[in-house]
Amino acid sequence: MTLATMASENRQARSLDYVKGYLARNPSLAIGIVLVGSLVLFSFVGSFFVDARMARPLSAAPSQPPSPELLFGTDTQGRNLFAVLVYGTWLTVQLGLIAGAIGILVGGSLGFMSAYFGGWTDRIINFSTDVLLTVPALLVLVIIASAFREGMTPTMMALIIAALAWRRPARQIRAQVLVMRNAGYVDTARISGAGPFEIIFFELVPNLMPYLVASFVTAVSAAVLASIGLEAMGLGPQNAPTLGMSIYYMMNFSAFLLKMWWWIIPPIAALIILFVGLYLINTGLDELANPRLRRRA
Amino acid sequence: MLAIKDLCVDFPVMTGIVHAVADVDISIGSGKRVGFVGESGSGKTTTALAVMRMIKKPGEVSKGQILLGETDILALSSEEMRQTRLRRISYIPQGAMNSLNPVMRIEQQIWDGIVDHEGAVSRSELKRRSDEAIEGVGLPARVARMFPHELSGGMKQRACIAIATALKPELIIADEPTSALDVITQRQVMETLENAQEAIGSALILIGHDMGLMAQCVDELMVMKDGRIVERGAIRDIFKYPEHPYTRQLIASVPSIGGESFLPNVSATTANGQKQGDAPLLEFDGVSKVYGGGFFSKKGNTALYPVSFALDGSRPMIISIVGQSGSGKSTMGSLMLGFNRATTGVVRFEGRDMAIMKRHEVKGLRRHIQAVFQDPYGAFNPYYRVERALSLPLRRFGIAQGAAEIRERCAEACLGVGLDPARIIGRFPHELSGGQRQRLMVARALMLSPKLLVADEPVSMVDASLRASILKNLYDLKDKHGISIVYITHDLATAYHVSDFVIVLHEGHVAEAGAPKEVIGDPQHPYTRLLINSIPWPDVDRQWGTSASAREETARLMKDARDHPPVDRSAVPGFVLARAS
Repeated sequence: MTLATMASENRQARSLDYVKGYLARNPSLAIGIVLVGSLVLFSFVGSFFVDARMARPLSAAPSQPPSPELLFGTDTQGRNLFAVLVYGTWLTVQLGLIAGAIGILVGGSLGFMSAYFGGWTDRIINFSTDVLLTVPALLVLVIIASAFREGMTPTMMALIIAALAWRRPARQIRAQVLVMRNAGYVDTARISGAGPFEIIFFELVPNLMPYLVASFVTAVSAAVLASIGLEAMGLGPQNAPTLGMSIYYMMNFSAFLLKMWWWIIPPIAALIILFVGLYLINTGLDELANPRLRRRA
Repeated sequence: MLAIKDLCVDFPVMTGIVHAVADVDISIGSGKRVGFVGESGSGKTTTALAVMRMIKKPGEVSKGQILLGETDILALSSEEMRQTRLRRISYIPQGAMNSLNPVMRIEQQIWDGIVDHEGAVSRSELKRRSDEAIEGVGLPARVARMFPHELSGGMKQRACIAIATALKPELIIADEPTSALDVITQRQVMETLENAQEAIGSALILIGHDMGLMAQCVDELMVMKDGRIVERGAIRDIFKYPEHPYTRQLIASVPSIGGESFLPNVSATTANGQKQGDAPLLEFDGVSKVYGGGFFSKKGNTALYPVSFALDGSRPMIISIVGQSGSGKSTMGSLMLGFNRATTGVVRFEGRDMAIMKRHEVKGLRRHIQAVFQDPYGAFNPYYRVERALSLPLRRFGIAQGAAEIRERCAEACLGVGLDPARIIGRFPHELSGGQRQRLMVARALMLSPKLLVADEPVSMVDASLRASILKNLYDLKDKHGISIVYITHDLATAYHVSDFVIVLHEGHVAEAGAPKEVIGDPQHPYTRLLINSIPWPDVDRQWGTSASAREETARLMKDARDHPPVDRSAVPGFVLARAS
């Protein structure tokens, strides 16, 4: 028994070493993880120091520049901008994760079904995806979001964005599965008595895992981008301090004319870190998913 | 002309250094043809790549010298080496059909090489030279204007030869140039390659594992094993007096038509078949298959014209289906497995129509119709350990429960095909050789003991030295376990030895059918004759084919074959082939 535990510990240590070694060889993945991770960590640790109510209007004196008490100052309506950054970052990331997850789940299932079953299933799914892909997403989102203007929450926002986030994953995953469907091991599983769903989930999905994770990251950043777009137009959740809503307020209450740099820089910096981090993770995963790009074996 | 001295190529791996090539000494005179034979991993391709200086990092030449004429290849700068490639040494890579650029016309790919090595050349001159190169490999000049996807496998292979010979190099290296081609195309491609080489007067290195092909094509032979040359000499001497046991094994592994069975100790007694009831085990009733075509599109592509036969199955048999690629033989296999639906006609298994079965009936049926596929590399999911291919059907068909019982069954199956379970179970597919994986697939079939096994080219991607033992494994399935086998192949020599009945397919029609001794031993149909003539015999004194020109012979026999009525040879009890109308 001791031998077995030793062996498993040894294996764990070795796999940790392996992950470390891999990250050293794939710097873009490592930097991306550090960037996104530190952003999430900042917002997690920060939530112990500031209260969510401090991100609401009139929680402090308006238009204060940064000072030891108010780290990032306040806006014209008296929001504590440090609290806005702490809670807004998390809300925005969370929104992206929810919308991205739904998009990948729905899109992935449609892509798998479409490619694996072929025939009419494929034609119908593919036709709907194609038609929806030609419609500008923002147009549809604006219509849906303006219908729900009152009492919008970040979660609703995520669901609205997810309504269109599945199109691209569906298309991409279909293309991948079309190639894999002809693999010999699919035939082996078929003559082993495995059903179509077992083949999809236990034979194909594991082999597509790096690719699925990479498309999830893409979907998250696309969802964040869409949410920022909607919020900057003022169609976001009025009562939640998301990063997009901060951008809307700063445009609306002319932060640029008032030269309130402490209001402008933090949310934009957070967004830049988020997007660059997600982009780097995506490039790094691409190398993992696509061995032809792997420079060192 | 080419001299290799003490060449060593090392690959650093996790556990140390692998000597892929060790102390290889070769000298090749100009105009000579030299063959390198050996199994995969014996270092033959690595040696060729060292001459091209194309060894992938982290591998490197650690010792030795390569001289091409007066030039020291290993001392050239990378720009000089770039100029040397193609102009002085050209390389036709393995699977050359996939090495053509799909978005460029063939002629553009020839021009690339010319312009790279000779600088600006006028367009009309380029066109003249590419047409000359294309015609030099026996293709019509219009092929130069085509894209790779418009060509067949043999034509693509010849286009690669055209690229390799366009600059008239001193040395041509051909790495398994015909391994993916059927025998008829193989003979034509080899003839093209030899003619092109003779026209230029260059030396040729032919890499392969087929001793028959070597006997027909090369002057000298190097037998390689584990990175070393174990035997070398003139081809005639090697065939007459092979010294190294490995060489003897290689020569013995090539089956020939007629003579003693090349399978070791075939038992005379046969187990009874496993079928139940009176209906034949497998029955094709006017079955045909048309791909494509539909309501709006034009007529589809007929892969298989109506064919009817009944395999009784009360005595287990091996039925061979032979033909070129595209003859419809794999379509027949997938119809039997139920992967495809017949366009017309009915496929019956034990008297039941497979097309109208309910889902749970299909699942019951799956257990009894199993398969061994052509590609042992693709047949295992790279994500799982290999025993999953064995344990999954045990669980799905409810044959064994519990981890211990499943493990025991898997181990038993491995032993049944001569594999050591301790070295197989728990490994990932990429850790096993192609031969081991293919044996494991046979072990899987043995473990499930189905009533019918469809073996689709089970040995075409396995090293020649392992073919006999895998075929013996299959033969045992029939003999000891009473499993009827449909053996799909393009290799008539193995079909001759293992099968009880042979069906020769030609463009979706049955060309000739009957007992192997008659159909393959004494062919009547021109197409069967063509197939047999195209086999490279492992006999230096025997001419390849009956006429000096492969192209001429193929054209003549193909023309005859098209209008020739099917030939029905003697019947074999237990198998009835109905005359297709």
